[in-house]
Amino acid sequence: MVKEKQDSKNLSGNLKRLAEITEWFDKQEEIDVEEGLSKVKEASILIKASKERLKEVENEFEEIKKEMNAEI
Amino acid sequence: MEFPVENKIFSVSEFIALLNIGLKKSVVKILGEVGQVQFGPTGHVYFTLKDENNQGLINCIIWKSKYLLYGIKLQEGMKIMASGHPEVYAPNGRLSFISDTIELAGEGTLKKQYDELKKKLTTEGLFAPEKKRPLPEYPQKIGVITSKQGAVLADFLNNIGKFGFKIQMIDSRVEGQEAVSDLLASVKTFRKKDIDVLVIIRGGGSLESLMPFNNELLVREVATFPVPVIAGIGHDKDTPLVAMAADFSESTPTACANLLNESWEKLLLFLERCERNVIVRYEAILVKYLAIENKLKVAFEGFKNALSNTKNSLKGYLDSSLAGFKSLLSTIDQNLAAVEKAVFLNNPERQLRLGYSIASINGKIIRETKDADVGDIIDLKVSDGKITSEVKNIHPVK
Repeated sequence: MVKEKQDSKNLSGNLKRLAEITEWFDKQEEIDVEEGLSKVKEASILIKASKERLKEVENEFEEIKKEMNAEI
Repeated sequence: MEFPVENKIFSVSEFIALLNIGLKKSVVKILGEVGQVQFGPTGHVYFTLKDENNQGLINCIIWKSKYLLYGIKLQEGMKIMASGHPEVYAPNGRLSFISDTIELAGEGTLKKQYDELKKKLTTEGLFAPEKKRPLPEYPQKIGVITSKQGAVLADFLNNIGKFGFKIQMIDSRVEGQEAVSDLLASVKTFRKKDIDVLVIIRGGGSLESLMPFNNELLVREVATFPVPVIAGIGHDKDTPLVAMAADFSESTPTACANLLNESWEKLLLFLERCERNVIVRYEAILVKYLAIENKLKVAFEGFKNALSNTKNSLKGYLDSSLAGFKSLLSTIDQNLAAVEKAVFLNNPERQLRLGYSIASINGKIIRETKDADVGDIIDLKVSDGKITSEVKNIHPVK
């Protein structure tokens, strides 16, 4: 959980981790339910945090865009 | 003193006085040869004048002050012209001719007197070139000695420039021996006046008519005059000695005026040249300035364009980067959605909740019929727990 909190604001790190998780699912021939469940939980946390971060970034981006358009 | 003549009985003295009144009006010139000459103890000179061929003879007196004025040393046999009037001397009843002026007569004699005086004064250094003084630059206060009669003064005044000259003029006779006393008095008067230059002018004439300007006293006055003297005394060949003693000798009044104008005209030319230079240089500066101004305008225009281009480029970069970033965000969004979907689909709990179960024998997942035998104990994992069952039959599907 500590790791999840640490990574939750790092969008690039989140995306990288999510890619690893989806790859892990793709590669599984025998599903380890417990492990799969754990991955799903981690992925859902990361997805939620990433969405929030993405929203923040988008808002910040819109602000910057407005400022830049006003200056130029 | 009036004498009623009719019925009047005169004393001798009274009669002589009456005679002298009449005689004083008889101002004449007498040409004659000098006879006996006597110099009195008071300096007056007593001499006789006689006809060269006839028997006529008259006693003459010239007072010391007059005698010294004309610079002629009377000698027996000298031919002179004396002007004056007759007078009877009461104490002895003797008639004498009182000479106001004396002058040498005859061209040859005059020339001789001129040459002798010229030689004497030259020896003294009165005419030396090194004595000549330059005119002050931009002279203003001019003293002029000339006769109001004739065109000389008009010529001078017509030609003197309008440079703010302050001209003082003393009217003087300029011809004949009578002029000497006038000229001397005029020069002496100007000695006491504040002037920059003295100008003595008259028209041309013969040696005889110009003799006043060969008077020794006048020449010495001019030679020692405190400020430069310009002589404008016309002449044919023998330069009047006054002209030689003056600092400048010009032939005409016009030339004298031009000489006075000279420094002013040079100044005027200099100022005009300065004015032209200033205008030309200013115009040159103006042309340069306009060129610089044009260059600046072009440069400013170029700079403005550069700014505009830079602004447009920035805008372009901004738009591109904004669009790129936006696209990146969109991609991230899509990736997240895809990941979410994948994770959702792969969630084992979802499968179990849908009714699927995972069968395993001794922990090994059963994927095919061959993985199980009749009688094996099977563990079935479902959404909320585990079911244990036994294999009764196996029916492979062909």
